[in-house]
This record gives sequence, C-alpha cells and structure tokens, in this order.
Amino acid sequence: MTTFIVRRLLQLPIVLLAISLLIFGMMQFLSPEQRAATYAKTEQQAKNLDLIIRQYNLDKGFVVQYTTWLKAVLRGDLGYSKQSHEPVLDTIRKKLPVSAELALYMFFPTLLFGVWMGTMAAIHRDRFVDQAVRVFAIVGWSLPTFVLAIWMLAVFYGYLKLFGIGRADDSIMVEFAKGTLKAYTGMITIDGILNGRWDVTYSALKRLVMPVATYTIVASAQIMRVLRSSMLDVLNSDYVRTARAKGLPERAVNLKHARRNAIIPVVTIAGLMFAFMLEGVFFIEIIFNIPGLGQWAVPAAIQLDFPAVIGIALLTGLVVSVANLAVDILYGIIDPRISFQ
Amino acid sequence: MKKHLLKILALGLVGSMAFAATGPDTYVQMTFGEVDSLDPAQAYDTASGAILENIYETLYTYKGESITEYQPVLATDYSISDDGKTYTFKLRRDVLFHSGNRMTCRDVEYSIERLLVTNPGDSAGWFYAESLIGYDGVNAKDYFGDNPSQADLDKYWEAIDNSVQCVDDYTVQFHLIKKDPSFFVKLMYTASSILDSKYAIENGEWSGTKADWYDWAGKDLRDGFLHTHDAGTGAYKLVKWDGKDVIAERFIGYWDYANKPQMKTIIIKVVDEEATRIQALKAGDADRITVNNRATLDTQIRGMANAKVIESDKWLGAAASAVFFNQKIAAADNPMIGSGQLDGNGIPADFFKDVNVRKAFAYSFDQDAIINDLYLGKAVPLTMALPPSFLGYDPNIPIYNLDMDKAEEYFKKAYGGQLWETGFTMTIAYNSGNTTRQTVAEILKANIEALNPKFKINVKAMPWPQFLAAYKNGQLPALVLGWGADYADPDNFIYVFYHSNGYFAKKVGYANPEMDKLIEEARSITDPAKRAELYSKVGYLAHDDVPVLPLPRPTGWMVLAKNVYTKGAPEGMDVYNNPMRSGSFLWKDIVKK
Repeated sequence: MTTFIVRRLLQLPIVLLAISLLIFGMMQFLSPEQRAATYAKTEQQAKNLDLIIRQYNLDKGFVVQYTTWLKAVLRGDLGYSKQSHEPVLDTIRKKLPVSAELALYMFFPTLLFGVWMGTMAAIHRDRFVDQAVRVFAIVGWSLPTFVLAIWMLAVFYGYLKLFGIGRADDSIMVEFAKGTLKAYTGMITIDGILNGRWDVTYSALKRLVMPVATYTIVASAQIMRVLRSSMLDVLNSDYVRTARAKGLPERAVNLKHARRNAIIPVVTIAGLMFAFMLEGVFFIEIIFNIPGLGQWAVPAAIQLDFPAVIGIALLTGLVVSVANLAVDILYGIIDPRISFQ
Repeated sequence: MKKHLLKILALGLVGSMAFAATGPDTYVQMTFGEVDSLDPAQAYDTASGAILENIYETLYTYKGESITEYQPVLATDYSISDDGKTYTFKLRRDVLFHSGNRMTCRDVEYSIERLLVTNPGDSAGWFYAESLIGYDGVNAKDYFGDNPSQADLDKYWEAIDNSVQCVDDYTVQFHLIKKDPSFFVKLMYTASSILDSKYAIENGEWSGTKADWYDWAGKDLRDGFLHTHDAGTGAYKLVKWDGKDVIAERFIGYWDYANKPQMKTIIIKVVDEEATRIQALKAGDADRITVNNRATLDTQIRGMANAKVIESDKWLGAAASAVFFNQKIAAADNPMIGSGQLDGNGIPADFFKDVNVRKAFAYSFDQDAIINDLYLGKAVPLTMALPPSFLGYDPNIPIYNLDMDKAEEYFKKAYGGQLWETGFTMTIAYNSGNTTRQTVAEILKANIEALNPKFKINVKAMPWPQFLAAYKNGQLPALVLGWGADYADPDNFIYVFYHSNGYFAKKVGYANPEMDKLIEEARSITDPAKRAELYSKVGYLAHDDVPVLPLPRPTGWMVLAKNVYTKGAPEGMDVYNNPMRSGSFLWKDIVKK
C-alpha cells in the first residue's frame, strides 16, 4: 500500500505542471488589455493602461511569461493577487483554514443525513418514507443554494435574530486582529479552545448553524440518491436473501450486510464533495459573509486576476488529487476485496 | 436523553436571542468593493480613500460639506508667491504620528517626494508630477524607457529634489514648474497624505535619498510595508487590514484630541452581497450599509424600524459622465462598425466627425426617460460635463432632450443627405451589469431606429475585460464614460472631457482649437471669477459642438442605523456629506445618540 501511495504522490507534480501549462495556454487567447482588466476597474483607472501592461509584463510572449512565473514559483512565490490585495500564498494560507473549517462542519451532517435518508428510502422502498425522502431530496436538490441561503438569512438573522453572519462576534474578531487572541489554526472553533475561550468557540459555532443547515439541505440529496439506488441493488442480491433466510434480524441485514456493500459509490462522491468544499462553497460564503476561498476565487476569475486564477487551479489540483487518493485508500478499508495493485 | 438535548438546545437559542445593536462606541460599516492598498502613494480608488482619509492627514482639507472652503489640518497657514509658482506652508507643531514620532518638515518633504519618485502607472501620482516636475506626469522608469542616460536621470531626480524643500523644521515650500490654480486642492487628495518618514524608512520603504530613488521609480507599492501598515497622524490608527475588512482604533496621541472622537473602534466590512448587508442592518449588526439602487431603498429599507435613509437633492457627488461619440473609431477587425463604410451595413471610422450626426444623436436621447427609468425621478440633468457644485458650472446652458423632428432634421443634413438615404448599422456595447450604459444604449436604439427603417443599432453586452480592451483599442463607436474628481477643481473634468489632449477627448478623437484655447487659458490663471467665465464659454461651445452628451446626475443617499449622526451636519440634516470625501464624512465626526 505504501508503494501505491508513493507512486500516486509522485504523479502530483506532473499533474500540477500540466494544469499550469494549460491555464497559461488559455491565457494566450486573451490580449494584454484583457489581462490588464484586473488592474483597471473603470476607464478612469485605465488612464495609464499602457504603463500597467508594461509594468506587469502582460505584453510578453508565452515562453517569457511562463518561465518567469515558473522561476518565481520555484522560489516559493505564486505572485500577487489583485483580488485579495496580497500575495497568493498568503491568501491561500489565510483562506484555506476558513473554508476547511466550514467544510468540516458541513461535511459530516451532509454525509450522515444523506446516508440516513438513503438507507431509510431503500429499506422502505415505495412506501411513504421513501416517497417523503425522495420529495425532500428533489426539493433540496433543485432549490438554488442562494435562494435557500437568503431565506435563512431573512428569517433566522434579520427577523428572529437567532444566528449571525461572518465568523464570530465583532468584538472577538477585533481581539484576533489585535493579537490578544492567537490564531493558531485559523479555524475559530478550534482556536477558541486553544485560547481557553469557550465563548469564542460558541460564537463561531453559532455562526456555522445557518451555512451548515443550508448546505445539508441542498447537498445531502445527492448522497441519498446514490446510496438508495446502490442499496436497492444490494438488497436484491443473493447473499442478502441468504442472510434473511438464515434468520438474521432485519436491522443487521440492512445495516451490516446491505449498507456496507452499498456504500462504495457514496465514498467516491463524498470524497469529491469534500474536495470541492475545501475550494470554498461560493454562494454560502458570499451570503453568510465567510471570507473563504470561494469568495476570493470567483471574483478573481471574473476579473482575470491571473496569479490568483492559477494559484487556485493548482490548489484545486492538489486537493482533488489528495482526495482521490484518500478515497482509494478508503475503498480498501471498507471492502477488503479491493487491493492496491 | 432526547428530551434533555432539546431542552439544552432551546435554552441556548433563548440565551442568544439578546442580539444587541453594535456597541455605543463601535461603528460598523458594511460595503462592497475592497480596499486596494493602504499606501497613500498607490491607492487611487474610493474604498481605499475612505480608510486613508481617517488614518492619514493632509496639510489642508475641505470644510464640512463644502468643496470651495478649506481648513488647515497639518499646516496652520499658507501663502502663494506673486508668480503663483511657490507655495509656502507653516506646519502645525506637536503633531504625533501613530508610532510616537513627531512630525516635522522632513516628513512632508519625504511624503511628496516619494509620490513623485514612485508614481506607479495605476496611482494618482501623475497629477502631482504634472504640477511639480513635468515629464508628462510619468515616473522616470516609464518616461525614459529601458536604457536611460545617467544625465537624464540626474536631471529628473534634481527636479524632484527641488520641488519640495524645507525652509526650517516647520516650514515647507513647494516649487511648481508653472502656475497651476488646482495645486492647492490637489494637496487635499489622500495621495499627498503626510507619512512618518522615519518609521517608513526603518521598515524598508524608500530611503528618501538619491541613493536608491531610481529603484523605486514606477514600483508597484503593493509589495511594500505601507501597503498594509499605517504611518499616519490621523484620529484613527489602523489595527488590521486583512485584505478585506479594516479595523481601526481611536488614536490617543491625536493632536486634536480635545475634540475627542466618540467612536473608539471602527470596523469596515466588505460584504459583497447586498441582501446580506440589508439583513445585517435589520439585525442591528451594522451602522451604515451601502445600498446600490434607489428601488431597493423604497422596497426594503424605508420602514425598517432601526434604520434611516438620509438623502438630499444637493448630494450630486463629485463625478460626471457623458455619452462620447468616437470620431476616430479603430477600423481594423472591428465588428462594431460593420462594413466600415456608409453603405447601410456599417459606419465609417469617422462617422461622428460630422456634427450633424452628433446633434441628431443628441436629439434622439431621452433625458427624461433616463431620469425616470434609471433614477426613479431623482436626478438632475447636466448642462456640461462638470459636477454642478464645481466652480464654472453654468446652469443656464441649454440641454439636449428628445426632439424627434430635430433629430430627423439633422440626420437628413448629415453627409449631405446621403446618410438618410443609405442608412447605417452600428453596435453600442456596454459592460455586463452596467445598467446605466445598457439603458443609454437601449434608449438610443429605440428612438433612432424609429426615425428611419434603414437605421440599425445593435446593443451588445460584453464582460469587463473584453469591454476594457475594446475601449483601450478605440473600437467602441459610442460609449458612456464617467470621471470622478481627483481634486475639487473644474480643470480635472473640463480638460479630461473637452481638451484635445485630455484623456477622454483624445481617446475619441475630439479636437477643437477654440476649445483648447479656452481651457488652457482657464488653467493658467487663478482668479475664480475669470475662470468661471471661461468655463461657461467652454460649456456653450460644447453645446454647439456636442463632442459629448452629459448624462443626468442622480442624487445621493445614505443608509444608516437610526442612532447614527455626525458632528457638523447642516441644519435639518443628520449627517454631512462632502463629495470629495470617499466615505462622505470622517469617522471622528460620528456620534451615536
């Protein structure tokens, strides 16, 4: 298994190099003026556009730009993001924990809820529970995230004033800014504990309720549907019949025999889902004002903030590769018949 | 167990119900658009300006809501030499920087020279350079290109070195290369904020000497220390800017601490989504929010228990925009002009050179429709491309408004009658999301196509990068361009819009020697009455010549929590609003009642 992991990790630099070449190639279709758009957001700011183009070497050819970029990267410099107003690496360092924290709290409720719904639907196939779960899933799946998010915001924040937006109370954010609270991990729920401040963790947790609920409602449907159909397959198989025939309790048949075998496709989907969550869930971040990667990446792409775009693409490549690797390893643990060859 | 859990949950929720409004000495503003840089010499946008004007200070500044009355800040007095080329400022004593360092003339010299040395292409440095050293307002690296001679560089440095000089510790002199009536107000822009030179140099900024000046020429200052750190004297000092939100705190060593600012902590949050800002206001988490359009005010803000909308017909801002008619459209690979000829399937590159075409377009333009559709009736038509509060704005100049008969008359005159016979096809583009540009284009299309079935205008949306490139390359036949004041002098608008060498006019190939003469005369004298007269002449000439068609200015508004006021508000208003301040008012004037 170690050989397997090492081999996969060795592929990683090649994947990243390919991504960077691809994106650089795509950028060649844009004129220097288009690439300068991120430096001039109005015509007034474009007054010295020629100087801007020269200053950032936007008029140079593919080879010059790519080698300059690659040399800088090898020195550990991914460039400056005009969108985040700081170097790309600093931005990733700052925003990754934010998105990761959000992802961690969104992932398990989504997964567990999806698995639970899928199990219930499969066991009670075509009965009321199944229908109810499927209706819920269709509604959740087809509901645009931002509509649900804004609705949550209006009801639970603006009207009921139960939950807040952002990451923690303003007074806590001021303490972090001043350094009286230390940001050890960049994840506030954890930093609160490390600082011995439960109020900090509580404040952060409270602000996670709306985003987590929104995401769970929208995204668990996918897990549910996959599990339901794969479990229905398994429930019809011979060994399940055998298990039933030998008098095993229904619960043990469903959960131990059927579900465990049906879960593989869920693992695949969940792995990718987690990887994409780490990239930042744009609508959730925008509407609940959580300064994660999504809030940075989407405007950066629209504004053609090139160092940011390529930085994000590399990060995506990295995260997806690692997630795929983790999923492959999980296959082996869940199903011993799968071996690492 | 389950019941127990529910109980805990319910208790937790009730406990958190006591969501308070922001604290009595904390001010939270939610806006969109992030700060670009906190280095005064780099920042050239309002989001940055709104922070800089509070943590830094300039020698003089605007008084209250006025843009023609000024008050001393870091200076106490000033005089101008008879030839108008030397400005002498007496500096305030006992001013401390946030570091604890004391301000002297050395800091003023450093700050302005640094502006001239660095002057990156996307900064405001150009208009200081134009007054103090010339060189087309361009930094040394860009001016001389790749292989500058040492003699040229020495001369450039000498010009910088001579432009600002200390007479003694508390007297500074500026030497202009020529008379410039707008120099004094230029010094009120945040770019000329006074920096703590000692602190800046200690932290790796330019040394202030000839030794490393050329290394700093044209440099992107976003790499530097001052991009994220504050070296100012302002009433507030920066706690942190994380690339997004800004947190600042009252500065105890402030020279004017006698007028103690009420707010201890200021939090400026970037919240891109408007719905989120509105809910935050409703929940009591925000003291001021940005609301983008008037319709939202009426449907969502008015009637909110803890919020108020402050507005005034006088709040027209310090900006102007106009429809430009491009008289030298770039013809190569340009689908927007179709065939590129006057054959009904396109327009020639100099289509708008004929004044009859410009007039016909002007009479096809429905100002009332813009005012009513776009601004819900709350806008004022402009007689010239200049904000009405500026010196020289003449309200008596007639305005073009929809007149289909006249439009037809001028279209028939154009190109000796040929245009009416053959017709034309052109494209008016706008950048996606820009509703002003979209509305203007659609109004022109509807009215002009109604005149003659052979007239065809396509309206096209483009993403900003493509639009910018088309603009830069001169491909857009007709377009809306806007200018926000850098400093409160009419020349900042008039030159840009109407002078053959002005940024916008040059771009669209407008040149009228008579116009140039008037504008040049007005920028070389200082007598306000005489200048106003000249600008009025410019306005009338522009009406006859129609190089551009000024658009109506919407009146402004502010959305605040009910308990927010400012000191120095005009009679009957809760807050003041100075159009030259990026944040409308200063943090130190905020009061919560």
